[in-house]
Amino acid sequence: MSRASAGAALGHAHVAVRSRSAARFVARRALVYGLVLVVAVWLIAPFAWLFVTSVSYQKHLLARPLSFIPPEVTLENYRMVLGLKRFHAEGQAAKILPSMLNTLIVASVVTVINLLVGTTAGYAYARYRFPLKTLSLYALLFTRMLPTIVLIPAFFLMLRALGLANTLSGLTIAYCSFTLPFTVWIMKAYFETIPGDLDKSALVDGCNRLQAYYRVVLPVSGPGLVAGGAFTFMLCWNEFLVAQVLNTKPGTTTLPPVIAGMNGQINIDYSVIAASGFLGALPAVLLVLLFQRYMVQGLTTGSIKG
Amino acid sequence: MIAASGSRSTSGYAGVLRTLGGVGGHFGRVRAPLGAPHLTDASFAAFLVLPALLGILLVVGFPLLYSFWMSLAQVNLLRTTGPALEFFGIRLPLFKFVGIDNYASVFVDPLYWSSFWRTAYFVLAFVAETTVVGLGMALVLQESFPGRPLMRSLLLIPWSLSRVVVGLLWQGLLDGEFGALNGLLYNLGMIESYIAFFKQGFSALNVLVSVYMWNQAPFATLLFLAAMQSVPEDHYMAASVDGAGYWQRLWHVTLPAIRPVVFLVLVLATVNGFLMLDLIYVMTMGGPGHDTTTISWLGFQTAFAFFKFGTGTAILYTLTALCLALTFVYHRLLLRRFEADA
Repeated sequence: MSRASAGAALGHAHVAVRSRSAARFVARRALVYGLVLVVAVWLIAPFAWLFVTSVSYQKHLLARPLSFIPPEVTLENYRMVLGLKRFHAEGQAAKILPSMLNTLIVASVVTVINLLVGTTAGYAYARYRFPLKTLSLYALLFTRMLPTIVLIPAFFLMLRALGLANTLSGLTIAYCSFTLPFTVWIMKAYFETIPGDLDKSALVDGCNRLQAYYRVVLPVSGPGLVAGGAFTFMLCWNEFLVAQVLNTKPGTTTLPPVIAGMNGQINIDYSVIAASGFLGALPAVLLVLLFQRYMVQGLTTGSIKG
Repeated sequence: MIAASGSRSTSGYAGVLRTLGGVGGHFGRVRAPLGAPHLTDASFAAFLVLPALLGILLVVGFPLLYSFWMSLAQVNLLRTTGPALEFFGIRLPLFKFVGIDNYASVFVDPLYWSSFWRTAYFVLAFVAETTVVGLGMALVLQESFPGRPLMRSLLLIPWSLSRVVVGLLWQGLLDGEFGALNGLLYNLGMIESYIAFFKQGFSALNVLVSVYMWNQAPFATLLFLAAMQSVPEDHYMAASVDGAGYWQRLWHVTLPAIRPVVFLVLVLATVNGFLMLDLIYVMTMGGPGHDTTTISWLGFQTAFAFFKFGTGTAILYTLTALCLALTFVYHRLLLRRFEADA
């Protein structure tokens, strides 16, 4: 008790002496909290509003004054999108689930290809010297800066010639063009953070070079593989234009073109489109939030070194 | 920047290995007798790299050349006869070579030049906004406050959304009939009636810049934060002892230390600004009129709405050249800064 009051007295004296700097300290904390709040609202409010609109009725969104807490919450939009409730644009909505499956297939296959092929190359770049190494690294850097769209006219004709137009295989091939250079780069940067002594001691212990890679280095490369894989999957899951242009036949396209197509139609309520948008965004957002630690680390190292 | 990190081994180490029965100078030029005795390290590495490089050659290199060829040809998509590349029974049409005709017609098109200047404005505004907001958010998140890790995860949300969804949700905020931002301003009595942000060309262009910035600035923030974390704490202490206030520390300690990353953000934002396409598709389709038509949109439209592949690829190739030239300039700048710091 006495100690507390003594402490308080001391505190008062302290405050009295340094009241001006204390006031400044409080003002500074208040400013920081205020700015943090602004940043938080800026980052999250638009996406949160997408969710709010997706559980609202369109008529409430059109009301003035607008109520920011929906007067009525409904899951009707989601039921329409998932084909559980019939409505006038159900033909459009019926494309959502199949296209989601297409997106999942393409994104998964591209991710597996990237991890198999890109990781191995990244390892070689990080550890070995070989002819044309510098030149091919510059070529990789160049492909990262390339507008993907300039390749699409060529893909259009190439896939047509191969008989792969409007197929998921064709889309998978096209997606490798903008993911593979990234994966090699990210994995190279990641393997450079793993001490080379690890593979050296594996060689001393009797592994050959290939075993040193997949028995010793790969098992401790989880974070890098997760970063590269999750990033590739996210890019493919979100990709819009290539799928829109290459896979025009009904049933062959991915989710983003379907959502964009619904958005272009005036007879579909925004609340319904918002539901499909939120549903489509969720997998990528959850994936990124789940693996954020590895992804942030992998991508920042990959970029800063690039 | 592109470090030949394969040179890590020391000669002493290689010597030890050789005496240990010749397991091989890993990372060196000595042969490894185990596993693949006939392969040198260089061939082993080439074997690891080959699948990826071959793949990239097939899905990037070849299409890039083929597109370039189309930009020099008169492309008729319906024509199936005529000259063609044939291999393994696959037949790629080569069309009629017309030299630089496509480029010539692009460069006399006033729409190309108006799109060019619009693109320049777009890129400048986008780079400025992304750098300023990205740095601003990094400075705020660099402060200590409860829930800082959570805030850093929130950064990833705008960045992980598909541009289709980004366009969709900003439409929900800005629409002239149901936009929430309009609703907010209206409820606060700041506007009499809802604003149609997309009706006026210049306002639509600026909205595109800001929406794209909302999507991309968080990544710049992550890069800035990573760079700030590597600034030694005692530099700040020393500055504080010298009586430097917040802004002085920012100007004299933080910014010089993260300068390479600032340049990196400028490079990435410039390239991303030039390449932006999907948001235009979702939000404005290049309109009203041609008021949000950038070079990438013009090339895309020409190639895929009008199916003029020759002209379209020519337009897109001017964009590619522009991007690469700028990247080169920035990289030189970046390298010089690094050398100056060293």
